Amino acid sequence: MQPRRRVPAVRWLAVTATALVAAGCAPQSVTEQGRAIHNLYNLFLYIAAVVYVIVAVLVIWSVIRYRRRDDELPKQTHGNNRLELTWTAIPFVIVLFLFAATIQAQNKVLDPVAQPAVKVTVTAFQWSWRFTYEGTGAEVIGTPDRVPELVLPVGQPVRVKLVSADVVHAFYVPQTLFKRQAIPGFTNEFDLTFEKVGLYHGQCTQFCGLQHPDMVFRVRVVTQGEYQSWLAAARRSTAAGQPGT
Amino acid sequence: MATTELPLPALPEAHHEEPGGIVDYLTTVDHKKIGILYMVTAFGIFLAGGVLALLVRLELARPGLQWMGENTYNQVFTMHGTLMIFLFAAQVSTGFANYMVPLQIGAADVAFPRANAMSYWLYLFGSLIVFSSFFVAGGPAAVAWTAYPPLSTDWFQGTGMDLWIIGLAVVGIAGILGALNLVTTIFRLRMPGMTMFRMPLFTWGVLVNQLLILFAFPPLTVAFALLFLERNFGAKFFDAAAGGSQLVYQHVFWFFGHPEVYIIILPIFGVISEVIPVFSRKPLFGYRAMVFAFFAIAALSFGVWAHHMFTTGAIYLPYFSIMSLLIAVPTGVKIFNWIGTMWRGSITFPTAMLMALGFILVFVNGGITGVMIASPPIDFAVNDTYFIVSHFHYIMVGGLLFGMFAGIYFWFPKITGRLLSERLGRWQFWTFLVGFNLTFFPQYLVGLDGMPRRIADYQIERWEPANLASTIGAFLTGVSVLFFIWNFVVSIRRGAPAGDDPWEGNSLEWVTTSPPPSHNFHHLPDIHSERPAFDYRHRGDPAFAAAHTDPTRNPDRG
Repeated sequence: MQPRRRVPAVRWLAVTATALVAAGCAPQSVTEQGRAIHNLYNLFLYIAAVVYVIVAVLVIWSVIRYRRRDDELPKQTHGNNRLELTWTAIPFVIVLFLFAATIQAQNKVLDPVAQPAVKVTVTAFQWSWRFTYEGTGAEVIGTPDRVPELVLPVGQPVRVKLVSADVVHAFYVPQTLFKRQAIPGFTNEFDLTFEKVGLYHGQCTQFCGLQHPDMVFRVRVVTQGEYQSWLAAARRSTAAGQPGT
Repeated sequence: MATTELPLPALPEAHHEEPGGIVDYLTTVDHKKIGILYMVTAFGIFLAGGVLALLVRLELARPGLQWMGENTYNQVFTMHGTLMIFLFAAQVSTGFANYMVPLQIGAADVAFPRANAMSYWLYLFGSLIVFSSFFVAGGPAAVAWTAYPPLSTDWFQGTGMDLWIIGLAVVGIAGILGALNLVTTIFRLRMPGMTMFRMPLFTWGVLVNQLLILFAFPPLTVAFALLFLERNFGAKFFDAAAGGSQLVYQHVFWFFGHPEVYIIILPIFGVISEVIPVFSRKPLFGYRAMVFAFFAIAALSFGVWAHHMFTTGAIYLPYFSIMSLLIAVPTGVKIFNWIGTMWRGSITFPTAMLMALGFILVFVNGGITGVMIASPPIDFAVNDTYFIVSHFHYIMVGGLLFGMFAGIYFWFPKITGRLLSERLGRWQFWTFLVGFNLTFFPQYLVGLDGMPRRIADYQIERWEPANLASTIGAFLTGVSVLFFIWNFVVSIRRGAPAGDDPWEGNSLEWVTTSPPPSHNFHHLPDIHSERPAFDYRHRGDPAFAAAHTDPTRNPDRG
């Protein structure tokens, strides 16, 4: 036993573990709905990290403390009902707690907004996207080589109606922490309320054939004024038969 | 007194080929040889799938396309998943089961030896049909191992897709036949005194795993039949324009697909439950709880399939969420009971035990991220990203492979009569542990950052370091497999003689010779507990003798 030499190792382990947990935290969300996911993810992560550390410490402790030292047979214990009930009951309670947190977050993410300010039909196809702004006559169509941009106003609830023109795709903007499948013959509706102006990467995540990696789009979140002038320009070019990207 | 003389079973006298020759293996109905055929075939497929995995990692090491085109990449990862999930992971434990279950229950063979041979040959030829798709015009399927329509029906035109469907359907039927055989064997062929609650945990794991196969493979066969009809005869099951729905396929496929995970992992839980008590020199902690946990996991596994479909928007989320979360409870019981087994034990660390410890540490990691993605909002964020890829590789590579190697190092001496080299075993273990974590831990992070799975190329440059680390780790894992192959080749010829019972084992296979005779046992000890070989070793010890004359402990004698 050399307890003094152990301290740096323990500290090093603690630092590494903290760094790993920190690195594993969810990215900040740029939508109101995504914030609930961000918080839920981090709650799960902290509990998961504690559980993992407990298991790892118990394993490593057993390995060090109970390594074979002599030929004597250890006491042949077959179990302990009280202990086993404890380690059934505690995870059960944790799971119920996580479920309650899940339901709460899920309602925040999925509850439809009463009055969406913008309604966009997003059509996924092999291998790009079409964004149709409902009731405005504006449309944006991309190709695998010309990345389409979904322009949206900041702070306004946006209703997305997601459909597919051919195979199954998925609409995913990593910084919203949210995705949905686009399934042929089925319309998926959800709301996104962007809280920050910016340009965000988006991509299809459901494998959809040859050029699946090229099925990229961008979300450009702008102020209300910029949105209106963009919309007017987009309406004109769509009417002229040249929808932009 | 301590042994039961066995009536020798009538052995088929049909073939007099030298034992172990090619003709012998082609015509054998011996469960041990069929088990070896299963294991060797599955391992060969594992190597092929592993090479495909390295090709994937090679392409992803840097952004841009360096080594192959998009179509080739899509074929490579599709076939990697296909080979690993359908043809390796679900089959390798059937190989272990074939060899070990009759030995562990004191039987001379499985219930239907000829059907057993048929299962193997169907498995082999089904696999060859899948492999043949590499040689047809258009190449193998490029639709991911899940083969969602309409991609797999309307878009991918090549014959490779049909060969994929037919080959896997044949393998599925082989699995159902094999399951009937093993379940019957376990229910009907246990030796006198071997009550259900004295069966080794590996046999329990196999029983529950094969019951899952009986319930999960028929829906898979249906899914394949529907795909085949839709592709070739214009059926409209999945065609929305004709009133069908693509979601039908997702439901049927995942109704098989999630139990499949437990089909793969339950026998491995069994292996770990054999290895840890032996090398801790203690009985398994909470034997009955371990058995109940198997059944709890199996029952829950049929109520969770739609957690693969959270992002469809067509699922009642709370039900599938709570069912998926609940699986953590029986799984946790297993983990804690393994720790309880080691607690106050007398632990030694041959490679089999190291692999079992590695199993716990990586499996728990995959398990807790599994709890995270059982929560639909979290799944909305990480579904179909590298986070998921990492999660299930922690279960499949971490769980299955560490457990499989634990089983190989544990039982190789029984099967061959020789020990694997411990020195090479330790090299394999450490390179595997480091290589594995280096491959998959960065994938959690890059997945969380939004990198989708199944893409040949990524445009985001900050994903490069994680991908490069992952690729280096994958090749290090490849090196660890080479250590194993080297060890195997050297040890099978020149390994130290093992003797009948090199580990002081607990279950009946350690009572017979290594390798066992064709009818398995010359004599069998009486069964007093779930550790017959342990009891047999200590039969002269008065303390144990006293314990076993207690009639309440042995109803068969009362």
